[in-house]
Amino acid sequence: MQSLYVEGNSALHRLSPRAKIFSLFLLGVMLFIGDNLPLLAIVTLLTALIYRSIGLSLTESAVRVRPIVLTIVIVALFTLVVSPWQVALATLLRLTALMLFAAAVTATTTITQFMDEITVLARPLERTGWVKADDIGLAVGLVLRFVPEIIARYHAISEAHAARGLKVRPVTILTPLIILTLRDADNIAAAIDARGIRRHVS
Amino acid sequence: MSTRDLVLAALFAAIIVALGLLPPIYLGFIPVPITAQSLGVMMAGVVLGARRATIAVLIVLVLVAIGLPVLSGGRGGFAAFVAPTSGFLFGWVFAAFVTGFLSERLVHDNQSGLVQTVSFFLAAMIGGIVVLYAFGIAYLALAANIGLKQAFVGSMAFIPGDVIKAFVAALVGRAVMAGYPLLRIRA
Repeated sequence: MQSLYVEGNSALHRLSPRAKIFSLFLLGVMLFIGDNLPLLAIVTLLTALIYRSIGLSLTESAVRVRPIVLTIVIVALFTLVVSPWQVALATLLRLTALMLFAAAVTATTTITQFMDEITVLARPLERTGWVKADDIGLAVGLVLRFVPEIIARYHAISEAHAARGLKVRPVTILTPLIILTLRDADNIAAAIDARGIRRHVS
Repeated sequence: MSTRDLVLAALFAAIIVALGLLPPIYLGFIPVPITAQSLGVMMAGVVLGARRATIAVLIVLVLVAIGLPVLSGGRGGFAAFVAPTSGFLFGWVFAAFVTGFLSERLVHDNQSGLVQTVSFFLAAMIGGIVVLYAFGIAYLALAANIGLKQAFVGSMAFIPGDVIKAFVAALVGRAVMAGYPLLRIRA
């Protein structure tokens, strides 16, 4: 699975991940408080410039945000039907600016940097005993390891259907997929414990 | 949390991610493709119970946050969290919890298969539709600056598809319970 990170050395790449995440949060709050149209337009333009500055090709940068642009346009059109045009335009600008900056943050921060931030965020929660920060990394690794396996299993079950002349139906395909996948849990857990990966669980 | 529970949650997170990558499944005579990962969220609740299902969904959200395109249609990254429909994404956590919580309370081993299936269906409907839409609609109204009523009307179009998904989740939940029961946490 390909991460959305883009190799580069723009100003945004060099900024610390924490500063980027905090700015995104701040931008979100400010955008929803302000409703001055010219100001919103300027901010949207600025975020578009930032998104263009991170070194993605024009096609790739458009492909990435296309599904969300589509939702934003539909929502803005819906707003236009039920509210005056100024409100619809403000909504369109707000959501677009936020989406562009969020996409820029994601494209300029590596998975490792994000994982470090998540671990820092989880530290205070560790004291409550609810989560162990190291477990988050372990879980993420497990998912990445098993997604290809689950997809291969899905195709094997589809072929088994075809070989018996059965139609592929959700229930007959999902049930064996879930049982076969979760049945591995005992072995995987034993392997993890045997290697002492979760040292905090004695 | 035992290592086994953590692994079960991670494996189910992987199933939810895989559901977004697989080709859509068509339901017999109804021309509605079953693509959405919300089916995976409902199934997590009915198969794993509240605690592990919530963790499975949280793992998926961590994967989104760290910039992996794990949502259907190759969406991912922070942009997925700030879209007008992101309430439906955050709502997954509560949908999985409520579906799992109700499944644990309503379904018992000594019930007949029909009662179990109907109970799972109720759990998936309340968790995966009522709770999920409450979050999704509230966020949509806020983000798009429209009234709650308009946001409600705009979201209604997706309810029939989700009712079918709740039905599929109930059948799968009952079948998995018969084949490989996991709902009760093993001591």
